[in-house]
Amino acid sequence: MELSYIDRYSELDSPIHKLDPRVKTAAFFMYILFVVTTLPGEYLAYALFFLLMLFVIILSKVSLLYILKRSLAIIPFVLIISVFLPFSAPADRLFAGHIKVNNRGLELFFNIVIKAWLSIIAVTIFSATTAFPAFLKGLNALHFPKIIVLMLSFMYRYSFVLLEEVTRINTARKSRSPVGNTVRQLKTVGNIIGLLFIRTYERGERIYQGMLSRGFNGEINIISKLHIGKYDCVFLTSFILALVIIKIKGAL
Amino acid sequence: MHIPDGFLDLKTWVSTGIISAVIIGGAVRKVNKAIGAEGDNEKIIPVMGVMGAFVFAAQMFNFPVAGGTSGHFMGGVLAALLLGPLTGLLILTTVLIVQCLIFQDGGLTALGANIFNMGFVGSYLGYYIYKILAIFLPGPKQKMAAIFIAGWFSIVLAAAACALELAFSGTVSLKIALPAMAGVHALIGVGEGLITVVVAGLIAKVRPDLLNLQKV
Repeated sequence: MELSYIDRYSELDSPIHKLDPRVKTAAFFMYILFVVTTLPGEYLAYALFFLLMLFVIILSKVSLLYILKRSLAIIPFVLIISVFLPFSAPADRLFAGHIKVNNRGLELFFNIVIKAWLSIIAVTIFSATTAFPAFLKGLNALHFPKIIVLMLSFMYRYSFVLLEEVTRINTARKSRSPVGNTVRQLKTVGNIIGLLFIRTYERGERIYQGMLSRGFNGEINIISKLHIGKYDCVFLTSFILALVIIKIKGAL
Repeated sequence: MHIPDGFLDLKTWVSTGIISAVIIGGAVRKVNKAIGAEGDNEKIIPVMGVMGAFVFAAQMFNFPVAGGTSGHFMGGVLAALLLGPLTGLLILTTVLIVQCLIFQDGGLTALGANIFNMGFVGSYLGYYIYKILAIFLPGPKQKMAAIFIAGWFSIVLAAAACALELAFSGTVSLKIALPAMAGVHALIGVGEGLITVVVAGLIAKVRPDLLNLQKV
């Protein structure tokens, strides 16, 4: 299944995997917060933020190549939105010899691409080192609305099943009908989605029957409890300390 | 339309984050009320759960848009039409959370803005656009026209909200962002509207009872 990469690295044993999901969420959120609030032109700070994440990646034992590949796959979308920035104001300098650009726009462009990329790396490493159920347990412990946690856990479980179903239906469609004009294609896609909806609803009813027969009473009870230990506290403190130092250093 | 991290400035992502949190909080309260204290309607829970996975899977469908680009289905109006506007909002919210965390599609700090654009504007407002249109277009054929228009508006308005946020952040000038975003999405919106109509038509033919589910 093509989505199996989601949990490819989440079962490794490393100092990053060991962290309580709540602590990890807080640490990575702080990281992104510090990155996106960096002022344009503080390239030293960006470099240090990158090194910090590199250190975390090495600690986590997740393949660096995997992280780079996954994070760079998103960059084209970032570029589509931001590539016009250097040209959206009157040109006042030349870039790379002969391209007329606006200096502030160019700086903003670099700034945005770097911020987006660093944040994407952080989220990639977060999701690679956290099994989704553990993340949900963390949300639950943080008293996140129960209904949203439940919906997320259903999504996590059934997205695979439904995507497989979509792939199957799509293969059947492709093998039977040549690609028609746009309206025809839209009609086919609509019919497939409608079919998928009916099947999904019926599946939901079956799941509910299954849950009822296993004693579901509207509550999801979890046996193992999360625990924030000394290690979590030391990690979070030193991580945030590193962020603050980078912020001060980078601003100098 | 998924805004990555770094595109919004502090005031914009914090304020959209707070607005979305308040809206989601209200939706959660209402949905919990519909489920009932005794869990009388607890069936809604698994159904809402798999519907999240459904919208997620339905968004995998790309369709060609003029000029070699392609758009994908959003499903905001569809979800709201079938299960109610607040459920639609929560479904889009969970889809966006998963897309952000697992697929890095849309940033973490921009999550509030993305939920506002696609969940609130795209699904919740889209549903009420349909409701208002349905007053003036009561017949079964006309209803399909109302669904199409609501689907189109949901995409174009969500794209316009996205452009506004980018412009408020000083990332792009509104003069460029608004026509560009609204223009491209005016085409994608046609696809969204048509697909929503076909889906509604199919369900009306095959399982008409599913159009009258409890809507929250």
